[in-house]
Formats: sequence, C-alpha cells, structure tokens
Amino acid sequence: MPPDNGGYMIAAYVVTAVILVGYAGWLWSKGRRVLRS
Amino acid sequence: MTAAAAARSIVRRGMFLTAVALLGLAAVYLLALQYAPVEARQGLAQKIFYLHVPSAWSALLAFSLVGIVSGLYLWLHDPRLDRFAASSAEVGVAFSAVMLTTGPIWAKPIWGTWWTWDARLTLTLFLFFLFVGYLALRAALQDPAERARFSAVVGILGLLLVPFIHLSVYLFRTLHPQPIVLKPSAPSLPPEMLRTLLVSALVFTLLYVGLVTLRYGLTLAEEAREEAGDAA
Repeated sequence: MPPDNGGYMIAAYVVTAVILVGYAGWLWSKGRRVLRS
Repeated sequence: MTAAAAARSIVRRGMFLTAVALLGLAAVYLLALQYAPVEARQGLAQKIFYLHVPSAWSALLAFSLVGIVSGLYLWLHDPRLDRFAASSAEVGVAFSAVMLTTGPIWAKPIWGTWWTWDARLTLTLFLFFLFVGYLALRAALQDPAERARFSAVVGILGLLLVPFIHLSVYLFRTLHPQPIVLKPSAPSLPPEMLRTLLVSALVFTLLYVGLVTLRYGLTLAEEAREEAGDAA
C-alpha cells in the first residue's frame, strides 16, 4: 500500500503552475502592450 | 524592417510558442496524474518528479546557454548575444524557482526533511542566487556596453557551476538520488514513467524557447522605443 502523501503532490503542482503561468502571463501582458503600441 | 517592427514580430512568435507550451503543460499534468503509475514506495509524492526534473533540466539549460553566449559576447561584442543571455537568465531564474520549491516539497515526505545542506542542494541554491545577482547587476548598470561586459563575466562564472551540480551526486555523499536518465547506462524507469518524463522535458524545453523568445522581443522593443525617444 503506497503512503498517503497526495497533499505534497498537489502543493507542488499548484506552486509550479503559479510560478510558470504567472511569469508567462506577466510577459504576455507586456507583449500585448508592445503589439498595441 | 525597422527595429520596432522586428521586435513586434519576435514578440508575436514568443507569445505563440509560450501559449502552445502552456497547453502542453496542461497535457503534462494530465499525463502525470492519469497515465503515469503510482510508485509503490513513495506514493503520489513521486509524481512531483515529472515537474522537478524537467524544471531542473530547463534551468540548467538556460544557465549553460547564458554562460556560452556570454563567452561569445566577450569575443564578438554582438548586442544580440547580450540580449539573449539576459533573456535566458531571467527565464532560468523562473525555472530554478520551480526546481527549488518542488524539491523540498518532494523531500519532506520522502527524506523526512524539507532541506539538507548537501552538495547538490547547496550548489543549486548558490546558482540561483548567482543569477538573481546577475539580474540585479544588469538592473543597476546604465551603460549598455558596461552592463553587457560585466554581466557576461558573471554568466560565465555561473556556467562553471553547472557541471559540478550535475556531478555532485557522484563526487560527494548526498541524499539526492543519482541521475536515472542522463547517465552512461540505459534509463532505469518503467516505460510509462519514462514516456511521461520525456514528454514533460520536451514541453518544458518548448516553454523555455517560448519565454526566451518573448523576453528577447520585449527587450528589443524597449530598446527601439528608447532609441526613438533619443532621436526625437
């Protein structure tokens, strides 16, 4: 029976999404501003 | 083509690649959670592997390219190389933030501790701080030629750390496991796990390319705007 540690997995997946999607979104919004100018 | 038009074209390409890579990241989440089996001894926490290893790969790729391109800059003095190095460093810091947060979250249930000051972990943390310093240095220097020259030296110093980080698990006693894919013998993983890892590594590499392209285009656009402002 594998250990019950799914909470750690969820935390890591959420943190990864926050960092990568957050950074990409920040660059994306700057990119949209450049394309509009 | 003017510099501003070229910058817009690069920004557009970077946005497209980044969007495709983020869709790929969603597919990686599905693969890792639904397709890859649960490891018997580590349980669900082992699935952190599919994010931790590709983020480490992308971070080390980013920092290695900063070092190589910085060396080329000191030789050729081409501003495109400096712009690429700065973009790659910033994206590398983002990937190493993922590596340095997912690592301790995985370590806690498996090693029983969030962090240990062994060679692999300590060197990786130093590399992260070195490139945060690299970005701070760039922000502090106003003269473009001086900024490019000084930061190129720091970028090359960062590159020197990369092989030590890869080999640290062989050279020192450490809790960190040895490589299971990038090693002289065949990868030691069940096929479903290996496939998921390779897809994830591919997606993270594409995300690296997309983010660096976007960052490069944004820097070029900023330079074009400053030049237009100076000319006016």
